[in-house]
Amino acid sequence: MELGQGLDLVSLGSQLLVGLSRAMILFVVCAGLSFVLGVLRVPNVAHGSLYMIGAFAAYSIFRFFGSSTGGFWLALILAPFVVALVSLIAERALFCHLYQREHLMLLLFTFALMLILGDLVKLTWGPEYCSVVPPKVLRGSISVFGSSLPRYNFFLLIVGPLVAVALWFFTNRTKIGKISRAAAVDREMVGIIGINVSWVFAAAFVIGCYLAGLGGALVVPTVSVCLGMDHDIIIEAFLIVTIGGLGNIWGALVGSLIFGVTHSLGVLLWPQFAIVFPYVAVVIVLLLRPRGLLKSVW
Amino acid sequence: MFKGIINLKSVWPIWAILIVLLVLPPILPRFYTYILAVIFVTSLLAMSLNLVLGHGMIFQFHHGVFYGVGAYTTALMLSKTSLPMWIGFVAGPVVAALVGLLIGWFCIRLTRLYFGMLQISLGSLIWAIAFRWYAFTGGDDGIHGIPLPSLISSLNSAYYFILIILVICLVALYLILKSPFGTTLEAIRDNPQRCEAVGVNVRRHQLMAIVIATFFAGVAGVLFVVLEGSVFPDLLFWVLSLEVFIMCLLGGWFTFSGPILGAAIMVSFRTFVGIYTEYWTLILGIILILLIFFLPEGVMGYLLEKFKPQAKEVGERRSE
Amino acid sequence: MLQVEAVDKSFGDFMAVCQANLSVGKGELAAVIGPNGAGKTTLFNLITGQLWPDRGKIIFRGEEITGLPAYEICKKGIARSFQIVNIFPRLTVFGNVQVAVLSQQRRSNNIFSPAQSLAIEETKSILESVGLSDKATSVAGSLSHGDQKILEMAIALGNEPELLILDEPTAGMSPEETAAALELIKRLASGRGLTILFCEHDMDVVFSIARSIMVMHQGRTLIQGKPEEVRENREVQEAYLGGE
Repeated sequence: MELGQGLDLVSLGSQLLVGLSRAMILFVVCAGLSFVLGVLRVPNVAHGSLYMIGAFAAYSIFRFFGSSTGGFWLALILAPFVVALVSLIAERALFCHLYQREHLMLLLFTFALMLILGDLVKLTWGPEYCSVVPPKVLRGSISVFGSSLPRYNFFLLIVGPLVAVALWFFTNRTKIGKISRAAAVDREMVGIIGINVSWVFAAAFVIGCYLAGLGGALVVPTVSVCLGMDHDIIIEAFLIVTIGGLGNIWGALVGSLIFGVTHSLGVLLWPQFAIVFPYVAVVIVLLLRPRGLLKSVW
Repeated sequence: MFKGIINLKSVWPIWAILIVLLVLPPILPRFYTYILAVIFVTSLLAMSLNLVLGHGMIFQFHHGVFYGVGAYTTALMLSKTSLPMWIGFVAGPVVAALVGLLIGWFCIRLTRLYFGMLQISLGSLIWAIAFRWYAFTGGDDGIHGIPLPSLISSLNSAYYFILIILVICLVALYLILKSPFGTTLEAIRDNPQRCEAVGVNVRRHQLMAIVIATFFAGVAGVLFVVLEGSVFPDLLFWVLSLEVFIMCLLGGWFTFSGPILGAAIMVSFRTFVGIYTEYWTLILGIILILLIFFLPEGVMGYLLEKFKPQAKEVGERRSE
Repeated sequence: MLQVEAVDKSFGDFMAVCQANLSVGKGELAAVIGPNGAGKTTLFNLITGQLWPDRGKIIFRGEEITGLPAYEICKKGIARSFQIVNIFPRLTVFGNVQVAVLSQQRRSNNIFSPAQSLAIEETKSILESVGLSDKATSVAGSLSHGDQKILEMAIALGNEPELLILDEPTAGMSPEETAAALELIKRLASGRGLTILFCEHDMDVVFSIARSIMVMHQGRTLIQGKPEEVRENREVQEAYLGGE
């Protein structure tokens, strides 16, 4: 990235587009976190680890198919399912027995899960940095409004809204989505009308984690995949979910956009402190609206 | 005034532990002395968090920030100014408490999880600044080789210094908890609405508790500088805060001394299991899960339940 | 002593309290009655600052207290008990009352002296006056429901109020406990010279001890007057007593 060039329109434009495309990945991850938070009322600390697993799994699948274009698509589809499977096992084997317990115990559990998953990743993939180049169709740059944007980022800009629409469809048009939305608002009610709340929670948890895995798979071509990426993403995801309104998926979208755009502006204005910009934005938002921009489901 | 509350006879096990800790350093290998000192520092940090967490039910998710702020303040004062050193040592806790007041003032409007989330955000801002401001904080390298007074620059003397400060702080924390302030804080934990109805300004009271807790976290930060002679941004990172949080839950957050136990378990675990395998966090995670399922009150809570007669001496009404 | 003037409070579209008026004189034992959902508890919550009114004025001893936070109103001399038991379940009975006494003595923020040695006499005498002395060291959460309701009152007394507001003090009590609680209320009113405002379901209870009765119906004040006046009022009979 060209740093500190001042404020000419072209670099502003391309920087904004890069920021927006990064926001799309954040959105996918945060929507999952927010979904789990809304339904289960637990800040899932292990969400970042699942994202990391998604990234490593996508990396391996992609490499297995010799970095071919088909392998990339396959990785994008399979890796989130690997993550969903991991989360399903954790949920059914352990987590589901804790729903009646003190809230902090659930938090503690997700922390323990984070520790375990982190080390399992280290065992499986080792501590090396892994990076790949995007498949041929998504390599190179294209020109958008006079500023050049890597094709892959353009691809992300398409995927993000697609995921948003899919989520909207899921929560508003499918039965399980409606039930989980109802469970987010009033879990007693869902229990009363005779739905097995435990399975609703399981479904919500797995879907949330699937999104974490998808985010991880999407991020692979843009960064080097490594241990520790779980810690970095989870704090950002927490902040985004908070400014968006806990449990509100659209809030996650708004929060991600704010985070991504302020970061890219930071890169442009004061590269050294670029990572500080989104934090400042978050703090400003929270000072004005402590409960987040959009209505929280709590 | 305090005689009634600290019954000298009933605390003989504490005296015994203290004497053992005092005679250990000359006999123990350096490494173990160092680990003990790390446990002391971490204990104080966990105890300070538990003042607001276990006794106040305030979800202070990012307590580590105040530890880091205390450490950074002292480190900067010692290495960048020529002021007398004791000013640096006092400034650490004071600045930590001021930052605690500022952050607490914004967060206290919210409750529980929202409080915690807002606090993580504000704390992360401080981390991000320290992480990037190379000219001032050394950025991600941190600050190393901080000049310390010669009196406490050797490991053994640092050990004694830390132990003395720890004991003073623990006594202070104990007295605070047994004071009207502490009683009221626990009453707020149990029922904030009722507290408001008996004339307690709940938010101001909680804010005061946060300031006190952050002050002691700042003290722990200073002790860290004394022990390590360096600071780095990880002190401000949320992972550390979460670990301290876990120490309280692990040791028993409704008990007074549980966090010390939690800190001791975590630190020794990391150190000694870390020698044998690099996958110690995996084992820690598994142990945590076992604890959640089988000892939800924490280790100390479990011990207190199990040995009820002793429970009264430790002074927890919960176990009566 | 207490004047409530044309107070409104709505929750969304629902007018919980609408044009409520109430006046309580010094030393009076006054009651608010009304069917379930008439807005009695809401009215009390408005007086003691748990809720803020949308409109109207609340005046206590010539001073407007509308919209003050609950803890300030308490410091002005109004203490209350709650309909649903609202105590500190993990503290001892003694500790429950002590918290209130310490707050009354402006000692809640004292961090320099042990709580063990403060407010002992005051707390003991309150526990004695309500008859909970022998349970002082029990954990409050383990008491029977009747005792918890009494403890509710004891906590309120800890604030040495001039006006004591009791929200259904006998709710859920057995007949014997109810009788004892009523004795206690009467004794507090006459012995301590407390002004007491309470609300109650049980008509017999109200008409046997109250000097002044305010009737609420669908959030409105129908009438306030002496028990005889209330009993004879036609509007009340139609709306509430069902033409008794």
